[in-house]
Amino acid sequence: MPADGIAAASAPGRNSAPYEGLRGLLLVAAPIALVILLVILPTSAMVLGSFRVGDGFGADRYLAFFADAYSMANLRYTVFWTLASTVSALALSFGLALYLRFSTGRLAAIVHALSLFPLFVPAIIISYALVRFLGPNGLFQLLLEQVGITGYRTPYLTPIGPYIAFIWESLPLPVLVLTAGLTQVSDSAIEAARDLGAGAGRIVAEILLPQLQRPLIIAFALVFLGTIGSYTIPYLLGPPAPEMMGVYIARTMGNLQRPDEAAVQAVILLAIASVVGLIYIATMARAGRQ
Amino acid sequence: MTARPPIAGMLIALTMVLVILGPILTVMIWAFAEQWRYPNLLPTDWGLKFWYQMLGRETVITPILTSLAITSISTTLVAVICWPAAYAFARLSFPGRQLLLFSFLAINAVPKFTLFVAIATVFLQIGLIGTFWGVVIVQMLSAMLFMIWIPTAAFRGIPPALEEAAFDLGASRLRVFLQVTMPQALPALAASYVLGFVTILLRWNRPCWLARPRSRRCRFCCCSFPRSLSSSRRPSCA
Repeated sequence: MPADGIAAASAPGRNSAPYEGLRGLLLVAAPIALVILLVILPTSAMVLGSFRVGDGFGADRYLAFFADAYSMANLRYTVFWTLASTVSALALSFGLALYLRFSTGRLAAIVHALSLFPLFVPAIIISYALVRFLGPNGLFQLLLEQVGITGYRTPYLTPIGPYIAFIWESLPLPVLVLTAGLTQVSDSAIEAARDLGAGAGRIVAEILLPQLQRPLIIAFALVFLGTIGSYTIPYLLGPPAPEMMGVYIARTMGNLQRPDEAAVQAVILLAIASVVGLIYIATMARAGRQ
Repeated sequence: MTARPPIAGMLIALTMVLVILGPILTVMIWAFAEQWRYPNLLPTDWGLKFWYQMLGRETVITPILTSLAITSISTTLVAVICWPAAYAFARLSFPGRQLLLFSFLAINAVPKFTLFVAIATVFLQIGLIGTFWGVVIVQMLSAMLFMIWIPTAAFRGIPPALEEAAFDLGASRLRVFLQVTMPQALPALAASYVLGFVTILLRWNRPCWLARPRSRRCRFCCCSFPRSLSSSRRPSCA
């Protein structure tokens, strides 16, 4: 089906065949069907099911969640550390993107390659690697002791452990998005500002940042959405309690065998993420239209 | 910009090496260490003992092969359904085109774990849970965004004038597609394939939660035998 469709399709305008619309819809039908069947329908079914109480509908399970101190602590913990690591990752990648925008040569190429490297490292590998690197008696501590610094306290099993891992893991995407955004800023605008006596800080604040609004929102959403639902990193590096929502949902579903409660937790997580998700989709849509 | 002192660049590069490569280097060293007692900066005993141990275990080799099979099958399936769709998004006009293109963002906008729970419920009902094809289908989702958006941008970037010129010279539609459109889109298609392949290969928790009983992927051994992880990194990710 697809091959035939491609052969029949041609450059726009050239062949305004009456069935172009139909052909287009047929070509995109398979991936769209997959998204509907695997994302939209299951998610809607889960949201609906989480409100089912007996034969009717009600918010009983949600009230139970909000009344439970431990669940609320997990939720607050998740939102706080997701925001903290997202903002830190954005700040770091903004710095890196600035450096990459204004530097050329081998050094910049190395920095660029290194900042993209985490893209190819799965979460479970970096979690384990950080245990060995930052953990008790890890390589980092050994290096510090070589230069005479003692009294190192490991972030492993504290909230700082996953915080570091989140930043590490999510660095590549914002660097990519912000570097692409910064290349859109013309050299002449920056040079003009400098000729008029603007310092580096002023150029960043008044010329670069305003033009970076959209890439910044997209990068924020990508990192936030990737972090808030994560499981591996907080499970392996974080404290046993409070838990990130991903770990909490998995434990409720797997160990406690309470799929109903897990669904409620998942829907609450979805509600928080969907605010950011909608901003992300709206920003992408606006960018796509231009 | 005028030349900035290279010291700043050197510092940034050095920090990046320590921060990005440091943890990975630690794992690499551990893979060849047989014993590493506390105050030593480097392992006290080097060797390949754990490599032999790991590669000799059936429970390690099978998951790696399963992993590669699942990844190849699902990446190829995604390519088969997504590349023609990308062509359509770039070149054909049909109702709801923009809306449908953005609907793929929904995959990213739903938190991973919420999606697992939702899909697991559906799979449980239709008996796909714990099967090879269940994992293949779920893994396809991870690569879809790349495989739609990158090729769409690539097809859009090809100037239609080139294709029109070929038509004017009497080429058939198939010939134009194969000899004019494809060669220009190929690098981007290949890039999206590689990116999709890597994304699928590196995911472990999706299959872990949907297929635990039967289909084992290589990440499981990482999960259950932390020691072998250091060595399993190479064969599974190289």
